[in-house]
Amino acid sequence: MSSGKVVKKAKYKATVKDPGTPGILVLTEEKFVFKPNDPTSSNKLEVDFKFIKSHKHTKEGSNKPPWLNLTHSQGSYIFELETFSDLHVCRELVGIALSKHGEAAKVVSEEQLSAAEMGQRIKLLQEDSKLQKLHKELVASGKLTESEFWATKKQLLDRDENRKTKQQIGFKNSLIFDTKPTSDGRINQVKFQLTPEIKYQIFALKPAVHQAFLNFVPSKMSEVDFWNKYFKAEYLHSTKNAVAAAAEAAEDEDLAVFLKDDEILEIEARKKVRRVDPTLDMEADQGDDYTHLPDHGIFRDGSKEISEAQNSLYRRTLLQDLNRQGAVVLEGKTLDIEMENPRAAAEVLARRKQESDGVVEDERRNRISKMTQIEDLQAQDDHRFAPLCIKDPRDYFDSQQVNAVKALDDSQAGMEKIKCSLSSEEAYSSLRVSISKIKASGLRDPLFSPEVALKVLNELTKNISSTKSHIGKHSQDSILDILPTSTKEKLLDHWVCSQELLRHFWSSYPITTQNLANKTRRLKDAISQVYSKLEEIKVSAKSDLRHQVSLIVHPMQQALDAALLHYDADIRKRNAKGAKPNGF
Amino acid sequence: MKFQIEDVTVYFPYDNIYPEQYAYMLELKRALDAKGHCLLEMPTGTGKTIALLSLITSYVLSKPHAPLKLLYCTRTVHEMEKTLAELKLLHDYQIRHLGPAAKILALGLSSRKNLCVNQRVLTAENRDSVDAGCRKLTASWVRALAAENTSVPTCEFFEQYERAGSAAVLPPGVYTLQDLRIFGKEKGWCPYFLARHMVQFANVVVYSYQYLLDPKVAGIISKEMQKESVVVFDEAHNIDNVCIEALSVSVRRQTIEGARRNLHRMSQEIDKFKATDAGRLRAEYNRLVEGLALRGDLPATDAWLANPALPDDILKEAVPGNIRRAEHFMQVLRRLVQYLEGRLETENVEKEGPVGFVTSILNHAGIDQKTLKFCYDRLHSLMMTLEITDTDEFLHIQTICDFATLVGTYARGFSIIIEPFDERMPHIPDPVLQLCCHDASLAIRPVFERFQSVVITSGTLSPIDLYPRLLNFNPVVSRSFTMSLTRDCICPMVLTRGSDQLPVSTKFDMRSDLGVVRNYGRLLLEMASVVPDGIVCFFVSYSYMDGIVNTWNETGILKEIMQHKLVFIETQDVVETTLALDNYRKACDCGRGAIFFSVARGKVAEGIDFDRHYGRLVIMFGVPFQYTLSKILLARLEYLRDTFQIKEGDFLTFDALRQAAQCVGRVIRSKADYGMMIFADKRYSRHDKRSKLPSWILSHLHDAHLNLSTDMALHTAREFLRKMAQPYDKTGGSTGRKTLLSQEDLEKTADGSFVESLF
Repeated sequence: MSSGKVVKKAKYKATVKDPGTPGILVLTEEKFVFKPNDPTSSNKLEVDFKFIKSHKHTKEGSNKPPWLNLTHSQGSYIFELETFSDLHVCRELVGIALSKHGEAAKVVSEEQLSAAEMGQRIKLLQEDSKLQKLHKELVASGKLTESEFWATKKQLLDRDENRKTKQQIGFKNSLIFDTKPTSDGRINQVKFQLTPEIKYQIFALKPAVHQAFLNFVPSKMSEVDFWNKYFKAEYLHSTKNAVAAAAEAAEDEDLAVFLKDDEILEIEARKKVRRVDPTLDMEADQGDDYTHLPDHGIFRDGSKEISEAQNSLYRRTLLQDLNRQGAVVLEGKTLDIEMENPRAAAEVLARRKQESDGVVEDERRNRISKMTQIEDLQAQDDHRFAPLCIKDPRDYFDSQQVNAVKALDDSQAGMEKIKCSLSSEEAYSSLRVSISKIKASGLRDPLFSPEVALKVLNELTKNISSTKSHIGKHSQDSILDILPTSTKEKLLDHWVCSQELLRHFWSSYPITTQNLANKTRRLKDAISQVYSKLEEIKVSAKSDLRHQVSLIVHPMQQALDAALLHYDADIRKRNAKGAKPNGF
Repeated sequence: MKFQIEDVTVYFPYDNIYPEQYAYMLELKRALDAKGHCLLEMPTGTGKTIALLSLITSYVLSKPHAPLKLLYCTRTVHEMEKTLAELKLLHDYQIRHLGPAAKILALGLSSRKNLCVNQRVLTAENRDSVDAGCRKLTASWVRALAAENTSVPTCEFFEQYERAGSAAVLPPGVYTLQDLRIFGKEKGWCPYFLARHMVQFANVVVYSYQYLLDPKVAGIISKEMQKESVVVFDEAHNIDNVCIEALSVSVRRQTIEGARRNLHRMSQEIDKFKATDAGRLRAEYNRLVEGLALRGDLPATDAWLANPALPDDILKEAVPGNIRRAEHFMQVLRRLVQYLEGRLETENVEKEGPVGFVTSILNHAGIDQKTLKFCYDRLHSLMMTLEITDTDEFLHIQTICDFATLVGTYARGFSIIIEPFDERMPHIPDPVLQLCCHDASLAIRPVFERFQSVVITSGTLSPIDLYPRLLNFNPVVSRSFTMSLTRDCICPMVLTRGSDQLPVSTKFDMRSDLGVVRNYGRLLLEMASVVPDGIVCFFVSYSYMDGIVNTWNETGILKEIMQHKLVFIETQDVVETTLALDNYRKACDCGRGAIFFSVARGKVAEGIDFDRHYGRLVIMFGVPFQYTLSKILLARLEYLRDTFQIKEGDFLTFDALRQAAQCVGRVIRSKADYGMMIFADKRYSRHDKRSKLPSWILSHLHDAHLNLSTDMALHTAREFLRKMAQPYDKTGGSTGRKTLLSQEDLEKTADGSFVESLF
């Protein structure tokens, strides 16, 4: 919004039921002002956006009028705008204004955001207090940039986008030609249910009907009459009685329009055929075929088909219909138009027809040259991408695991090395030795006394049950509940925070750009901060709870540890290897 | 790549070559060396055309002292375009490696309809009216008139071409029909006459079969081709049918009526000339007395269709005296038309030999054999004299004269069959008198005799020993190549039972069975839900397709099928079919997926490729037998049995299976491509039928796939598609048999013996 100021006609409503006071709404980035048309009215408003907590609006396409709802601490201001486009303009500005006031600390982000995206992010933050907290914690303190933070929240952002799909719904690939009539069986009458969509499809399929509609309705006949005629013609077609159709058409010239072959289609076909790929052009073949001069060649050997030439004007076959249907579906609905009004639909279609004309000779030539090449005789050029090969998913994952293990080994190079690979013979012989031992002496001499074993077992199971719920789920006797609320809160916050940091941390490996290197450095610092904070919590906990707290904190710290270790190992490896051509 | 085959350096525009292509070239080269004819079967999708073109052009390049001309015959115009596009690729490559020495002139030739650039002429709807429209503007007498009177319209393109005279030549290069049109428009020269003129000088000419096989056309276009030519008939599995059709004529009621009208009009013209320009008719008479049926140097623009009889069989004599005068000739034609009309009024089917028929004409109409024989020439001369330009109006009388000439010329290999109605529609009287040729060797014999080497090649020439018999020639090389595959990229299946385990077939007694129709529908439905992109279905005939699609529509199966894919159908209207095909391709390109319904023996089955994603599955519904009750077919079978000792059943099966193989073969284009083929008829599981399939299909037809039901076929399809989606080693190195050769591979085995050992 370059101007930063929007002036619109609107009605102010104190409540939803309120009929509204008409007036002028002036929006700037700092505040909004409403001046009622009636100067005596008390509904004058001048509100700073500071006080506005959030904004809502009605959806386009819902049956509600375009409302903009600005909530403040005590209630909300509702404005009814004149059109949805007005609403969109206002909404954008409000979004910007709110974002200015809502975010105290702004981190410089390198990406340019559209107002809509920004608004969406803000909305998400407002809806989800936890997210807001996290955002504040990470972004405000500069641990993550704005874009990095949102990169992992794509799903949340997309969820809204998905609602308005960019793809348009095409035609249904079902024959509308046999729109089945319903009959109540009592009277000699059938009823057709025509939806706007069917009408639209009929127009697209049959330009002649479409043309007739434009010509006749409403000047010559009403819409109902028009469709009555149309279905009468369809019925005549379905009887496959060309003679009857011809007779009817001779009587009623309006009806004839529907019964005759579609001239517009024919002209169009002629035009299109010129653009067809020459390797498909069978019309050209016919032009070259001198054997089949009329009455030359073999006329009736059974391979050629017989056709009744009479009344061919009034014969339309299912096959033709099917071809037409396919063509129309393929063309698709290019315009998302309101189908409520068939007249409007008809006109839009007519306009569209004119636009889609234009000859493409070159395309034709390119197509044929592309067709002639035999691909696999060509030199195998180096593909930029490895071919996707998934023969057996298990193989794939097994091989990946090896890689992962290798990577782990690399990162912990020299830390510990256990020789855990035994040849199968070795393993087998040792097993045999121990079995023979047991056979000889029996299990006489257990390693532990049973009492000790039981004790250890008890201790371990207790640990399991107590550590199980350290994430703070709904378990009633979770140790978290034993902890004082402040500690608990803190712990949970740190948990969420560290999870987020770790997610960012690991997703930035392998490091391929300078940006990622910087990011990991920042993240490493953040992680070590969290680490020390956790340490603090552990230390500061009361002595009776210290063990429990350390049990909770331990896995968190482990995870952070792993990240720090990996970071160090990576840095070392990088330094050892020296600079690579591209620096990474 | 560049390699040696014996003493010829072959330039091949790709970096790799299939071993079968190499072997194919080797055989072809030997045939050229021997100056003999050859018969080569190689599976579709192994790059026959490019192998052929690159060997022959390289052969010519390596032997500059004896230039060979290549006449490449295709069945259809779109194949012509494809061939020329491949040649262009090859030519560019050769120019790059050899420089200007490799320059050749190659062009495609088609009718005026496809080459004309004059907008006024082009508005005409069909080929014949375009031809006539052209003649109206370019015939010599029209131009003579225009020279005196400027208001007479002429064709500016032709005038400019004439004015350019000998300077009007095509520079070397490869010209597709479109290139010719563009060139013509640029220069302002008529592309049609330019192309026809350049045909004599071109190194490579690509045109339709008929331009060599049909004497009516060949007499004009291919008269002056040198003997040192290589003639290639590509996709020649149907060549015998083209040959017999070229010499067949039929007469119907419409023909008789039209001929009457034509005769009336000609009489009027004659009377008019008598009154105004009697000298002209006398001049014609004198010319005929001198024994010249036609003026020797007929301008190209005046030439009409040539004599329907083969050049060797045309008598080089003067026109007999009784038809030299125009009025007398009119009388003869009237009597002939009268006689033919009488013969059409028959209640029963009649079959007669040409000799008997000629005798009966003599007895009833008083026209002897020699007069009949000269009918065509006499008519042609008269039309010239009368300066008739709207030839499209005179096709009926032309038909009658063609008939007369043929029946007067040939005593054997033909029969005359008169049918009062079509047997499938006995209630509609539609009498037809057909002169049908049974002997395919007649039409092709002049080609074998005139040209040094004739190459007949296709993906389906099995059984390969039948063709030399049908066409009556002795090939020096006759070879059938199998396909060396890196992986099993084709998956033929024989489906004998439907989902309810009942047998499916299009046998006459079963085809209208609702159960079979439903089973076929379920098969397609299930496959449509599994197979990505394009599916092609072939039916045995239009009427069967029409019936089955209507039934599917009524039972709701079609609706279900349409939920998976778009449906497009071949109809008898070529424009509509062309558009349907175009839409089909678009639907496959955009990922929507589509099904194409087509007819075996139809136009689509003949020449449209459904390679790559345009066809992942072909379903052949039924066995495409010919209509066995057809009188013409029966007569032909009889002739084949008596003359060539070919059994009726054998020929019918051979014919049906070559059509089926042709249909399913359209699915594969290269070894990287893949596709499935379902033969949906229980009769395919019988050995006598199956064994007639080409060996490259048979070798992939596993025993386990010989007797499948719908559910089993579905399972196989799923497995196959999953397997094919994997990357693989294109050279086939791991299997021990190389399926893709590089330059080094070839150099290692310069003598080619290694390649031969592969087969």
